[in-house]
Amino acid sequence: MDKPALIRDAQHGDLDAFNTLVLAYQDIVYNTALRILGDEDLAADASQEAFISAFRALNSYRGGSFRAWLLRTVTNACYDELRRKQRRPTTPLEPEAGDGYEVETPRWLADPNASPEEQLDQAELEHAIQHCLENLPIYFRTVVVLADIQGLDYSEVAAAVKKPLGTIKSRLARARLRLRECLQSFRELLPAAFRLEEERGL
Amino acid sequence: MTTTSFRDVEQLSASLDGQLSQAKKTRLEARIRSDPALTAALADLRQARAILRRTPKHRLPRNFTLTPKMAGIRPPVPRSVPALGWASGVAMLLFFFTLGTNLLGRISFGAAAPMNAAAPMTNEGYGLGGGPAATQSPATDNTQVTPTAEAFVMTAPETPPPGEMRLVEPATNAATKSTPKLVNIWPYIWLGLAAVLIAAALLIRRASVQAFRRKVGIKRNT
Repeated sequence: MDKPALIRDAQHGDLDAFNTLVLAYQDIVYNTALRILGDEDLAADASQEAFISAFRALNSYRGGSFRAWLLRTVTNACYDELRRKQRRPTTPLEPEAGDGYEVETPRWLADPNASPEEQLDQAELEHAIQHCLENLPIYFRTVVVLADIQGLDYSEVAAAVKKPLGTIKSRLARARLRLRECLQSFRELLPAAFRLEEERGL
Repeated sequence: MTTTSFRDVEQLSASLDGQLSQAKKTRLEARIRSDPALTAALADLRQARAILRRTPKHRLPRNFTLTPKMAGIRPPVPRSVPALGWASGVAMLLFFFTLGTNLLGRISFGAAAPMNAAAPMTNEGYGLGGGPAATQSPATDNTQVTPTAEAFVMTAPETPPPGEMRLVEPATNAATKSTPKLVNIWPYIWLGLAAVLIAAALLIRRASVQAFRRKVGIKRNT
């Protein structure tokens, strides 16, 4: 696939060329939105919105990583969705501590009575990761999703969030530290290889 | 053993991703070997990164390709459509202009014309002078020429007092003489032309939209 040619054609209004690019990037766009928003329907809406915005703003693309440019569009769409969500808050699923405040620690999700083998389920692990991601401030979450989950390099992440490399390094380090602390409460859910590595490390 | 500062954590995180210069990397590696706290912090970061990379990818709920409507693309308008639109607009203006002048001319020339047409009715109604044969025939001719005259015929008897009808009598002949001059087919020509132009513009537009849809549909399927 000649992506530069497709981008050029799309910039001249060729919708078929753009749709070929959509098919190539929709997977990463949707999964990024899903990890940032934590909701499949919202992620689908944000992805569609991002592609529509990208087509309309295609002439503002001036070269560089098209993937990063596209991911910037989707992260902006996610921020818009989150702002909308804040304006129309829903009832949280997290329990309250009794004093009216939500329990901030994710420990309530981990069941100490269940055996680790029973909890080594992919869905639960994913749930734990998603829970920890959602506990991160949005700008940290975006950086860690782009760098660690989607595998973008620092320069692409910097282009996607329009921040300097130093900021990316700093946010990523903080995000990893916080995630590590959060994931420790789900130790039983972690894959065996990860636990062994953890024991060796400690 | 020293406590790990955030600066150290930042460097450890960057070193995991190969983002440190060789000199910094060498210095950091030397410190990691001598400092267990740094070693533990590095392991923590590595593990967090490893588990995040294992995050499963979700299948797409649907394709996110755009339709022309979503992309805001409209079918191209043929050049003839605006031209036909303007022409039909001009034809409509001419229609109203000629219709207006026709009506004004009718009113100014023959305020008598309605009276003339009304005369037979008043004659009959009030039993006033003049033979019906003399007045009825021009009135009949007049109603055949233009439908507007009929409207006046229907309304005229209500407004003038019966006494004035006699005075109108002489004007009747003048009005009937001028009747052929009032025949004006131009409003109808302009109206017809406007209708034809509008219809042509709509047909061309529709054909171009259908051609665009066929083109987009074929390209999207390939």
